[in-house]
Amino acid sequence: MKVTVKLVGGLVHTLGFSERELELPPGTTVAGLLDAIAIDPARPLIVGRSGWAIDLVEELREGDRILVSPVFSGG
Amino acid sequence: MDGWTGQFLRVNLTSRSFRIETFSEEFAHTWIGGRGFAVKILYDELAPGIDPLGPDNKLVVAVGPISGIPAPNTGKTIVAAKSPATGGYGDGNLGTRVTDQLRKAGYDALIVEGRADRPTMLFIEDDRVEFLPADEAWGKGTMETNDWIYARYGKGVGVLNIGQAGENMVRYAVVRSMEGRAGGRPGMGAVMGSKLLKAIVVKGSKPIPQAFPAAMKTLGRDDLRTVHQMDKDAAWSVQGTTGVLPWCNEVAALPVHNFRGTHHPDAWKVDGERVHAARVATYGCPNCTMRCGIAIPDDEGRESELDYENVGLLGPNLDLFDLPQVAALNYLCDDYGLDTISAGSVLGFYADAIERGAVAGDLRFGDAAGFKKVLGMIARREGEIGNILAEGTLRAARAFGHGSEDYAMQVKGLEISAYNCKFIPGMALAFGVSPIGAHHKESWIITFEVKQTTRGSYGRDKAQKIVDLQRIRGGLFESIVTCRFPWVELGWGVEHYPTYFNTITGSDWKLEDFWPISDRIYALMKLFWLREYPQTDRSADFPPAAWFDPANVDAEGPIAGLHLDREQYDGMLQHYYDIRGYDTRGVPTRATLESLGLGAEAATAEAYATLR
Repeated sequence: MKVTVKLVGGLVHTLGFSERELELPPGTTVAGLLDAIAIDPARPLIVGRSGWAIDLVEELREGDRILVSPVFSGG
Repeated sequence: MDGWTGQFLRVNLTSRSFRIETFSEEFAHTWIGGRGFAVKILYDELAPGIDPLGPDNKLVVAVGPISGIPAPNTGKTIVAAKSPATGGYGDGNLGTRVTDQLRKAGYDALIVEGRADRPTMLFIEDDRVEFLPADEAWGKGTMETNDWIYARYGKGVGVLNIGQAGENMVRYAVVRSMEGRAGGRPGMGAVMGSKLLKAIVVKGSKPIPQAFPAAMKTLGRDDLRTVHQMDKDAAWSVQGTTGVLPWCNEVAALPVHNFRGTHHPDAWKVDGERVHAARVATYGCPNCTMRCGIAIPDDEGRESELDYENVGLLGPNLDLFDLPQVAALNYLCDDYGLDTISAGSVLGFYADAIERGAVAGDLRFGDAAGFKKVLGMIARREGEIGNILAEGTLRAARAFGHGSEDYAMQVKGLEISAYNCKFIPGMALAFGVSPIGAHHKESWIITFEVKQTTRGSYGRDKAQKIVDLQRIRGGLFESIVTCRFPWVELGWGVEHYPTYFNTITGSDWKLEDFWPISDRIYALMKLFWLREYPQTDRSADFPPAAWFDPANVDAEGPIAGLHLDREQYDGMLQHYYDIRGYDTRGVPTRATLESLGLGAEAATAEAYATLR
């Protein structure tokens, strides 16, 4: 299945991309996605699907747009 | 008294006199410093009902026990006064060399009273105070004023100054320092202007009293290095706070079109990646190793220092997605000495009011040239519109009428920062109960809310988290006076701060020892408001009607069809009051005040209002 991952903030620079479409096996979880893009899941992150946070164990769906972000405080 | 100089400097601009006062160790341990000192001084010394733009108001510049000591991000100073924007207690922090210079001059706070008879620059060097003419700088922007001061004294001095907005008493004029620092959103710059005080310059030569200076030197140096490395690993400073913009856009929390919208397909054009790509310089506060002031060229090639709040409010909120144009508006705000958050909100509100027919005018969303022109009118209070908009969105809405107050995006007279809470109940509450009017600095619950709670819930857990964050951010950090960023952005443990405090003051405090002091500070800020607004009720803690309006929902996107629920918000607000020990009006009960050691303050408040 195809999912799009969107990174923000410092993750863009540490991983070297901002947005990428990935081909993943059906049943891949959020943790699997993080593994696929080489992010340590222990790192404080916010992972969201369409504006709503999702857990690491949640399965991805075809066409998902997944936001991966560090934990911000704002200005 | 290790950790504190034990002295305040009181300056009277009317009589051109000054006095050095001492304070006790008990006072220091009760209020810590910074915001704690400021609210206590202002509560005790300001008569309720005074004109915040009159000579009876006082400006307090205060630091804390860890201020200015080399350690992670200790370069902040508090500026406080009765707010011209809200009529309540107002303050803000800014990074400035005043922080260490004031301490080295021998003071933990400067209290400025009265009104000068001509434009004045206050020069403080240790025990010496000079009242210098500032006619030459009056009428000039903050950039030129800063250069004027540096040319005279060099760059090592501490400087606070104002631009034309402060001089003309725009109610959301800020105090500025160094190349790009600003603070005091609720009109602290206007208070300086009302006193004809163009600038404060501070130079000190004394050692800052510390219990264990050698140990603190090692600790501070090592921790600065560690935080610097953490920042490099996280790449946080690469985009600074502008990195939050795409996040807000993705989760539908971005202010677009005067907060009507929550996301926009062109938001990427002004996001952190674009800011980073355009960077020409980076600025930061003293004692900071994670500098977040990213400067880019504006449309005229001028360096404009950006952060998320000003890009959000001066960009998407105005339907502007041209980064150099956004930078130009930001530059003008900085030079005029206008708060970028309030200015962006005022411009958006004005364009919205025109669009909705509440007022006649030709300004339109997306009109960068028009916005620049109006900013100048505001800073100069030029014409009827310049004057009305210089009063802020709440007063402007009352002038325009036609129901426009519903979409004046403010709480208590202070404009909301760049987080659109159309469907983020906890963050809406954080704005509602912020003690200076809507501001994100007290409690930024939004990522916790989205990550660890059900986004649309209104539970006690959110109210509790707001109190927890207020205790750390608004209480601990604003009284010991340090920047919150190492903790919030890099996860630098909050337990480090009692260690600094103890090493500097020789105390043996634990983290939890600071919470009653934080609560005391919040309660006294509330009493300050109560004396000014004796008829206050819980409606003062509600955000604007637009966020509750079913007609204002998003048509598409992550929160399509959703809005805040007034009844459930009210329930969450009650949770907040219950946790805090406040009554149903949002006022601390007499029992709460007494438990916080505020019995005497409660007695003075009762001369003006009823306590329960």
